[in-house]
Amino acid sequence: MTAAARTPYTDRNFKYLLIVPAVATILLVGLFPVIYSLILSFQNVDMMFEDTSFQGAKHYRALIGDARFWESLGHTLLFLVIALPAELILGLAMAYLFLDRMPGRQVFVALLVLPVTISPVVAGATWRLLFDNRFGPINQILGWFSDEPVTILWTIDPSFVYAAILMAEIWQWTPFMFLLLLAALSNVDRSQIEAAELDGAGFWRRFRLVILPAIWPVMAIAILIRALDLFRLFDVVWALTRGGPGTMTETFSIYAYVLGFQQFETSYTAAMSFVVILILVVTITIVLRRMEIER
Amino acid sequence: MGRLSIEGVHKHYGKVHALKGVDLDIAEGEFCVFVGPSGCGKSTLLRCIAGLEEIDEGRVRIDGEAVEGLRPRDRNVAMVFQNYALYPYLSVFENIAFGLRARKVPDAEVRARVGRAAAMLGLETFLDRKPRELSGGQRQRVAIGRAVVRDARLFLFDEPLSNLDAQLRDGMRAEIKRLHQEIGKTTVYVTHDQIEAMTLADRIVLLRDGRIEQQGAPLDLFERPETRFVAGFLGSPQMNFIPCRAEGGALRFSCGRSLPLSRPAPEGRDLLFGVRPEHFSRPGEGDPRPRLDVEIDLVQPTGARTYAQFRLGGVEATAELPAHAVERPGARIALAADMARAHLFDAATGRAIRD
Repeated sequence: MTAAARTPYTDRNFKYLLIVPAVATILLVGLFPVIYSLILSFQNVDMMFEDTSFQGAKHYRALIGDARFWESLGHTLLFLVIALPAELILGLAMAYLFLDRMPGRQVFVALLVLPVTISPVVAGATWRLLFDNRFGPINQILGWFSDEPVTILWTIDPSFVYAAILMAEIWQWTPFMFLLLLAALSNVDRSQIEAAELDGAGFWRRFRLVILPAIWPVMAIAILIRALDLFRLFDVVWALTRGGPGTMTETFSIYAYVLGFQQFETSYTAAMSFVVILILVVTITIVLRRMEIER
Repeated sequence: MGRLSIEGVHKHYGKVHALKGVDLDIAEGEFCVFVGPSGCGKSTLLRCIAGLEEIDEGRVRIDGEAVEGLRPRDRNVAMVFQNYALYPYLSVFENIAFGLRARKVPDAEVRARVGRAAAMLGLETFLDRKPRELSGGQRQRVAIGRAVVRDARLFLFDEPLSNLDAQLRDGMRAEIKRLHQEIGKTTVYVTHDQIEAMTLADRIVLLRDGRIEQQGAPLDLFERPETRFVAGFLGSPQMNFIPCRAEGGALRFSCGRSLPLSRPAPEGRDLLFGVRPEHFSRPGEGDPRPRLDVEIDLVQPTGARTYAQFRLGGVEATAELPAHAVERPGARIALAADMARAHLFDAATGRAIRD
């Protein structure tokens, strides 16, 4: 009050004026598309017709019976439950190995981090070359260990497509976990670990009671980021299999892309996206609460 | 139980030779303090005993058993760290119980032993709290509790009081000493603080540059230092070292003043006259002791005593005098030195000259 009295020309609402541009931009690019697609999902817009009349929950009802939609969600979850723990465990193990100072450590860390720096589409295309059934080095190397030439159709054969995609995905994103966990591990108080060692605790006990609680906040965030990334998994799958064979590896993102931008079922795709957003919001809220990131 | 013997221990960190052949025997129940300036190897030696560092050469035996090849947890020693190293996500109770749980002690016994340790350290009301809810002194008490609750063969303390403020430090120091008297476990205690070393130790091991400079009972080291380094390290304010030469039964300083020698000293060599500030005094009327006339250039009253600085033999020297003995700089006074308690060191080697 006294400050305002001493400087009578200062408009106390001036501060709000200053943030108006930022708020407006956020509303425009963030909130508007969400609301627009929410409205779309209750209309009947596709490539042929632009029927903007209110359709009620028509598309939402149709979604419930759309087997391909539920299957695509299933595929997405399958990628998630395999790739996430694999990346976490591999990343943690690598971080543990690189915790101690050793000659060439920085060079190795830099090399290990390279996959993250590559665009996922490029990585996918590269893996496609590696997996090529006739000229790819992977079949070539496998051939050295068997008597006859190996011609596995990595990106077509139903028994290998998941392995191929997961390999590329885990290769690319394990370094992300590795980097974050390396930083978290290097911050663990060494004397606590030493104290536990002197107290007679073996590796698992030290890890569970001393190291894990200390790195948990970082680890939880890393898991969350990767889980969200995996939930919208697109590039690697698209580059390797385009969701095939058939729709066998089709993730939710690929299904939404195909429907929305190849078949232009605009309203239906909007409804689908909203269901997924709802599922995500509920899941994340529950998970965040249970993770106890803040202590 | 708790005899420790160290033979010819060497330790390198890359190019740094941290321990250069340390030999030491610590008796059962002894309170042994490693003291020395930072980088002298005292913490390294302690960590080698604990097994947190591997030694490159030599032997470490506990109760006659060679332990160099054993993992820390198989050595059955307990350690208190400078930064407490409490497990932040466990309660005080679980912190103290950690070692017992790791060794699969039955729950009822865990409760009983943690209860006893907590009672001994006055921690009963804090058992449900997390370490971050405790003050520094309480945390260190928990760390000590974690050590005493186990039936370890040795207690190792790595500068346990350095993170506490001065007042708390005095209290905890007394408590550690009392605890040792009660439990009687062999204790190795590392500190850079000579007061802690003097007050706690049965034996002080003074390390310098990876070697033991001198060891013995605290007052032995204080009163009979073998080197200039030991003499300078123990005692506060530091002992004065004044360059001089012995000539014709007297010490001659470069400023021309001299003091008669009470015992023979080698002539024709550069010597250091070592005298503690408290061994200067103002001679009374008719005092037969030889006098030094000095001009005081700095006066530092500390309450009970006053430190007065003056120049002698080209260096600054300090005398510890009664509170009002000197009021302001510039005063010219006479001082007498207690020659019987003064020391002579060879200026080149730093070794004490004894008769």
